[in-house]
Amino acid sequence: MNAAASPRQQALERIRAATRNPAASVEPAGSYASLRRDYIGHGALPAESRIALMLERLREYDAEVTECPPEALPATIAAQLLASGRHAFVAPAGLPQEWLAPQFAWKVDRDLPAAEIEQAEGVVTTCFCAIADSGTIVLHHSASEGRRVLSLLPDWHLCILRASQVVETLPEYFSLCKQPPRLVTWISGPSATADIEMTRIKGVHGPRFLHVILVRDPVADPTSNLQPDQAR
Amino acid sequence: MTHAVADHPVLDPTVAPPFPVAALPVLRNPQLRKNVAHAMDVIQAKRARLVEEKADWQALRSAGAAIRDHVLENLGAYLEQFEERCTAAGGVVHWAADAAGARRIVLEILRAEKAAEVIKIKSMTTAEIQLNPYLEAAGVGVFETDLAEIILQLGREEPSHIVVPALHVNRSQVREIFARSMGIRDLSDNPQALTAAARNYLRRKFLTVPTAISGANFLIAESGGVAVVESEGNGRMCLTLPRTMITVAGIEKVLPRYQDLEVMLQVLARSATGERMNPYTSLWTGVTPGDGPQRFHVILLDNGRSQILGRKTERQTLRCIRCAACMNACPVYRQTGGHAYGSVYPGPIGAILTPQLMQMHHAQSLPYASSLCGACYEVCPVKINIPEVLIELRAQVTDQERRQVRRFFDPMYLGMRMAGLLLSRAWLFHAAQRMGRLGLRFFTGKDGWIHSLPGMGAQWTQTRDLRGMPGETFHEWWTKHKKEAR
Ligand code: SF4
Repeated sequence: MNAAASPRQQALERIRAATRNPAASVEPAGSYASLRRDYIGHGALPAESRIALMLERLREYDAEVTECPPEALPATIAAQLLASGRHAFVAPAGLPQEWLAPQFAWKVDRDLPAAEIEQAEGVVTTCFCAIADSGTIVLHHSASEGRRVLSLLPDWHLCILRASQVVETLPEYFSLCKQPPRLVTWISGPSATADIEMTRIKGVHGPRFLHVILVRDPVADPTSNLQPDQAR
Repeated sequence: MTHAVADHPVLDPTVAPPFPVAALPVLRNPQLRKNVAHAMDVIQAKRARLVEEKADWQALRSAGAAIRDHVLENLGAYLEQFEERCTAAGGVVHWAADAAGARRIVLEILRAEKAAEVIKIKSMTTAEIQLNPYLEAAGVGVFETDLAEIILQLGREEPSHIVVPALHVNRSQVREIFARSMGIRDLSDNPQALTAAARNYLRRKFLTVPTAISGANFLIAESGGVAVVESEGNGRMCLTLPRTMITVAGIEKVLPRYQDLEVMLQVLARSATGERMNPYTSLWTGVTPGDGPQRFHVILLDNGRSQILGRKTERQTLRCIRCAACMNACPVYRQTGGHAYGSVYPGPIGAILTPQLMQMHHAQSLPYASSLCGACYEVCPVKINIPEVLIELRAQVTDQERRQVRRFFDPMYLGMRMAGLLLSRAWLFHAAQRMGRLGLRFFTGKDGWIHSLPGMGAQWTQTRDLRGMPGETFHEWWTKHKKEAR
């Protein structure tokens, strides 16, 4: 080994020698494509049970759930904000204007400093999708899902989830991603710890309260428009 | 060699006492053993329930093992791909050959940032390279942010598990540690109150310290993304609020594609904490303008891993995703707790990983810290055959010892050489059998059992009886009866 080589070169040389595999490109001879994946890709639940499962999981995580028809969404949001007993909220820049009920104090996030977001009592966001099997809400941090800090600092997170966004399994979510997203947060219930004597305590650093509004929009199978090879 | 039983556990394998010695403090402390067993029971029961409901669990394990093996086989190429994509996304990739190299890189970055303080996400890799004491000696204030890590850091305790590292500390001890170091007088020992105290203690740190250090659960080669799995949200704080982020990751942590997380995230939380999914998982890619740290460094750490990669049986060690299921299932860990392993990696995975990271120069007692029952293999989500690796490492330790001159007259090696001689020659073996029968007759009672033996044999008969030798061996019986049958 060349003593003057950079740590990088040395590391790669050691690795190549250890694997006896000098290939400089990934997936030599399609070996990645031929990896066996016999696990369940697509779930088998009918839409109604899939959504019921998602709601059940959310409740198990102590998240609060409210349901409403699409046309009642702005009013439902306002009602939930009121019921939360909070007043000062932040919203991602891309959140529809009609969701920002005027009787509350709103700060819309156009590069708000963290200290200001920290002052807010709650935040309202949308999400990319939700996975019923594990009760997970996925954020890709688009304009209406907000920057990462926005759904982190306020103590109360109200997330708007449409029934049509609920998939059953984790692999179904991954087949929805055409490209690997740049930023992702998977949220499965509010922040929690079991570090002291294995007692589960809610709310350490993340939001202590997760509240979901499930919008009952018409549900087609969210992955039915996939090509068969993607549906594994 | 005798080792004093240290008051304070030593987790540096180069100086830690051997496993049987280091295990004594816990073995002599019934309360501590009860705490460990309780924690293990809780996690195991939750895990078992969730694995049960997963119809495709074995298929997920097989896929997990196959993906990890494929990565290891092509590690060079995937690391280069990761480096290229991460750099393109605005990250800076560093390579470190060993712990000292990685520590130096971290400190250089901190100096360039003029960082006097850092906040940290729980990371086994930074514990492995003993980063905290190094940074503290260099004058950097290090703040752990995971609840268990705060307990350990403020209480000057050592981790005893890789997922719930403070499981050996009970609530009244936590109360005492927090009351003392946070200056809270009337703190109750209710876990809820203790957790709230930690939240308040850290809140300002999160908002003001501009530099953070993390490990990584997964590196995504195709996108240059990094994923961190956590529960409390302290990780999200560290990944989002600071200006600069430094991630230290073992070179084996790569996955080929984003989609491979569909296997890993299904098995990891179920195995680790018995949850369908941990509360928070974050993935980020280089730097994103306007969102999160605007400077991002990844340090790819070798530290003995490439050597493990080169060995046929041992390579599977690098599949590990650090879920801790193997220690939760281990009957030995359950009795000794984590400190006995003299390493930040305890339990079955520690027993195979630590001596290999030490290139078999230290921690040679660890491959023996197992009954080879196989419970670890059965629960491992990436199907690491830990018993197989343990046996291979035992063979290496034996080979090492045999080469030492002072071991030549060691009774065990003497005995083994004798046995080797006898067992490879039939006539000698038969003669030895006859002599053994004659000799043992003196010690065999009327009931056909041997109740006490002299010398070394006493070590056996002190605690159990030994059946006397039968009057004739099967071989003798067969020879006789074959003749009669003709
Ligand atoms: S060896 Fe297997 S069971 Fe043990 S921590 Fe690693 S992945 Fe988990």
